Amino acid sequence: MRKISVAIVVVLLFAGCNKTPAIPPGDLGSGQVLDPSLADPAAYRISVSQPNPTLAQTQIPVIIACHGYSASTFEWDEFRTWSQGRSDYYIDQVLLAGHGTTYAAFKTSTWHDWQSSIMTEYNLLVKEGYKNINFAASSTSRTLLLDILHSGFFNNSTTTVHIFLVDPIVIPSDKFLPLIGVLGPMLGYITTTDAQGEEKYYYHYRPQETLQQLQDVLTIVRGELQDGITLPANVYLKVYKSTKDPTADPVSAVLIYDGVKTSNGNPIAVDLINSNLHVFTRLNLVPNATALDRQNQIYAFTDITTRIF
Amino acid sequence: MLIRTYFLVIIMIITTHFASAQSSVLDVGVRLQKDVGLYSENGVAISYSDKGLLPDRLYFGFSYFTSRLATAFNSNAIKQDNFLLSSAWYFRQHHVLRPFVRANAGYFESTYPEIFNVLPHKSLLLSSDAGLSYQTPLPLKISASLGYNFIYGQGNNNTPGTLYPVFYQVTLSWSILKHTK
Repeated sequence: MRKISVAIVVVLLFAGCNKTPAIPPGDLGSGQVLDPSLADPAAYRISVSQPNPTLAQTQIPVIIACHGYSASTFEWDEFRTWSQGRSDYYIDQVLLAGHGTTYAAFKTSTWHDWQSSIMTEYNLLVKEGYKNINFAASSTSRTLLLDILHSGFFNNSTTTVHIFLVDPIVIPSDKFLPLIGVLGPMLGYITTTDAQGEEKYYYHYRPQETLQQLQDVLTIVRGELQDGITLPANVYLKVYKSTKDPTADPVSAVLIYDGVKTSNGNPIAVDLINSNLHVFTRLNLVPNATALDRQNQIYAFTDITTRIF
Repeated sequence: MLIRTYFLVIIMIITTHFASAQSSVLDVGVRLQKDVGLYSENGVAISYSDKGLLPDRLYFGFSYFTSRLATAFNSNAIKQDNFLLSSAWYFRQHHVLRPFVRANAGYFESTYPEIFNVLPHKSLLLSSDAGLSYQTPLPLKISASLGYNFIYGQGNNNTPGTLYPVFYQVTLSWSILKHTK
């Protein structure tokens, strides 16, 4: 997504070239690298490892950690690592549909598919009896959650729901994304610049079809925010947003702040984070992460795990 | 008293100038703009071509357009204002349909709640657009163009995030000073 503007120039020069990428075997999307939650779901999802909780266990908060567009469960691995030894909350890492497998599966997935993974996991946990279900959502998952909120999904929920949005995207930093509907069929796919090692966890080649899906959901949610979203009384929402972000423009936080109100009409909570990273809570494989970056990450993890109680 | 005298003198100079400007053109109208991928922004536009300086070919203009009069009207969209000065060159003089190119410079400001003061919300505007102008049988002129903002928000470049690169606009203007020869 970050390089659409460059890709536009490239496509004008090379229109007609092969529009399916040759994906190296070691990359996510090749079919030879799969998200580990597929092989061992119990290690990632409390709904699988503990499907029959005791009455006491149902009262323990569950945090459903949802990754962003083109990412995988890797995006929240550090949160699980940081939480080791804590038994007063559970982490449930969800893999969005179409992600973590093959390029073809990703290409044919829609934003409704991505969103359904979040709702399915929540419904499963409710069915299993959990009473305090929360979300830590990064990037596009946030957008999907706002649409879920707008749909009234939580209106009749009997559980407490805290939603923490990390670097949400409503306005992309790449302002050429809206042109993907016109240029996408010529482009075929977008190649992104990854740090070394990231290609195992993020789709390095992003099908234009999925970028159109991303643009669609961003447009829809921006409209929903313009109309206004009121949180149900049992839902709490907080936004953490980097002040500089090469993927999700920081102004996204302004649109959410203006567009969402609590059940009694008050503004939602927003923390602006002094960072230039997208999804500042994920530092693994980030080159040259600073002491401030680590401080920001720990602040967010601590704040999330404090507010759920 | 002195200020009033100066004011009257300026008014007299302008009036005299326009009265003798047999082929000067002053168009006043409304501008309807859409930022591709974001907001609609509406406002006003004025353009002027002087009889002594490439009349009816070289135009100077000012426009103000804002989301307040479009997407942000009665909605939670961000309120933002654009002030533009422009120079335009109109081809095919004396034709009904005339291509034009235009260079623009100005100022952009968006309004955020106070807690977002740390985010960039002001910017210089530098843009160019090109399009067609249609002169109706009335003194009404309809101009449409596609444009590009050279300065736009990229998330990490200290430019407001709602300043988008690609836009198109339609201006409906009324010629109030064009004198027939």
